[in-house]
Amino acid sequence: MAGSYYFYIFSNMAIFVALATLLHLQFGRTGIVNFGVVGFFGLGMYGFGVFLIQLNIPYFIALLMAVALTGVISFLLGLVILKLDSQEVLVATLAFATIIADLVVVQKGVTKGVIGLGSVPFPIQAGLYSQHVFFIVVLIIAALLIMYAKKLEQSPYGRLLISIQDSELLSQSLGKKTFREKLIFFTITSAAMGLLGALYAANVHFLVPRLLGPGTTFTIWIALIIGGRKKVFGGLLGVLVTVGIFDFLVETYVPIPTGQAQLLPVIKMMVYGLTLLLVLMFKPSGLLGTSKKTTK
Amino acid sequence: MSGKLCLKDVKKSFNGRVVVDVGDVTFGNHRIEGLIGPNGAGKTTMMKLITRRLKADCGVITYMRDGFDDVVVNPHEMEDMARMGLVRTNQIIHDFASLTIRESLLLSLATDHHEKFYKIFNDKQLRKETEKEIEWYLDYFYFEDPNGHALSGGEKKLLDIIRCLVLKPNFLLMDEPTAGLPEDVTIKVMELMKKKAQDENISVLIVEHDLDLIWNLCEYVHFMAEGQVMIQGTPEEIRANDIVAEKYMGAAVC
Repeated sequence: MAGSYYFYIFSNMAIFVALATLLHLQFGRTGIVNFGVVGFFGLGMYGFGVFLIQLNIPYFIALLMAVALTGVISFLLGLVILKLDSQEVLVATLAFATIIADLVVVQKGVTKGVIGLGSVPFPIQAGLYSQHVFFIVVLIIAALLIMYAKKLEQSPYGRLLISIQDSELLSQSLGKKTFREKLIFFTITSAAMGLLGALYAANVHFLVPRLLGPGTTFTIWIALIIGGRKKVFGGLLGVLVTVGIFDFLVETYVPIPTGQAQLLPVIKMMVYGLTLLLVLMFKPSGLLGTSKKTTK
Repeated sequence: MSGKLCLKDVKKSFNGRVVVDVGDVTFGNHRIEGLIGPNGAGKTTMMKLITRRLKADCGVITYMRDGFDDVVVNPHEMEDMARMGLVRTNQIIHDFASLTIRESLLLSLATDHHEKFYKIFNDKQLRKETEKEIEWYLDYFYFEDPNGHALSGGEKKLLDIIRCLVLKPNFLLMDEPTAGLPEDVTIKVMELMKKKAQDENISVLIVEHDLDLIWNLCEYVHFMAEGQVMIQGTPEEIRANDIVAEKYMGAAVC
């Protein structure tokens, strides 16, 4: 079990990096204000859990089904909301995530509610090294996503997405089917969030509704904004300086008096907030962002 | 492949105020036509109705081009019309803030075939395919930094026009193309339009307040006021028309 604990934290971080990179693609590239990241993440997580544990579907089929489910739901949601303006998209996605979280609590017959659902094993069994292998799997996924985002930056499709973010009307006037492309891209990236949720389920093993709280969405958003929402490596850097510093460095190495341990999550969010505030004040386009033309 | 547009009983009102009320007009019988009229006559709104940027309250707009079936504009989306070669350059400056001049033109030139989420390695190919054309425009027109962003308002306006031209439209609507352009650039644009209209058989409809340009360039002129296309004729006829003089040029002279 050498260092399994570290690799558990590293795996979570890799998943968060991948999530933040997906949000970069949705929000930083295309301008889709997805404030319900945890909804898609949670749908994949619980979809997988239910298919695997409750319905006894084979592991990888259940995984694929969870991703497909998230994709279908994202598509239907996108069909309704992607014609709305950004503030409405924000509220709608937030509402979506809340509905998913509530359903998980209420539909006890399917999800086992607050009792919890478990346990979800690792996708690849490697004895004592299962956690290590799992980390490598999620690390590869995060790396592939970042490479995709990097390559997309200088590709025709990437420019189409940027044009939608800059001025959807102008893009349409050039014959671009912006709604169709937004819908396709939103569906795929949200389904990928579902995949990450399913993998997260394998990492934590035991699913409880608490995992679907808005904290995940906030963390990903704060991380991406701090790192630089328009930058490919913004998500990576942002997660390292937020989740990396707190969930790993502080929780592992800082001696905290036992009586104060429950304060940690509160302090964490306060520090996140403070960091976000400082970044927005002094470097509004994020740590990696360029200083010229930030918000336009 | 020139295009033609027929408007029949097309109406558009905003909050009860009728802005466009056109009985029966055809655009595109001549290569380059002009559309003039006082501010608030409904020229821009009519153009937006034609390109389906706005939806008409009632009436029928038909778009015709050689070799294709006639298309009724009303039920389509703006992007569909653009794909059918009906394109409008903007009166107000619009630009993609994150794209450089070259990237902007690459965007315009890319087709569905290039723009797929799984195609992330085809940029070189697209650049190769379009290099000649982009270089030609960047050679013909002067940009302060052709590898960077359009800097001034004039450059953005010019880029907007080029973006539309590389789409190779059948029918190009130009909404006050010279507003904000330096005079030498205006002349270059108009020379190019003349050539394109001739060689590539593009129909052009120009909205302008620069009347000298209209008289020099257009074969036929439509005069619009109070939402209606009131008078149509050759530039000479329009210049000599009393109503035009009273409603528009009179005011311009004072």
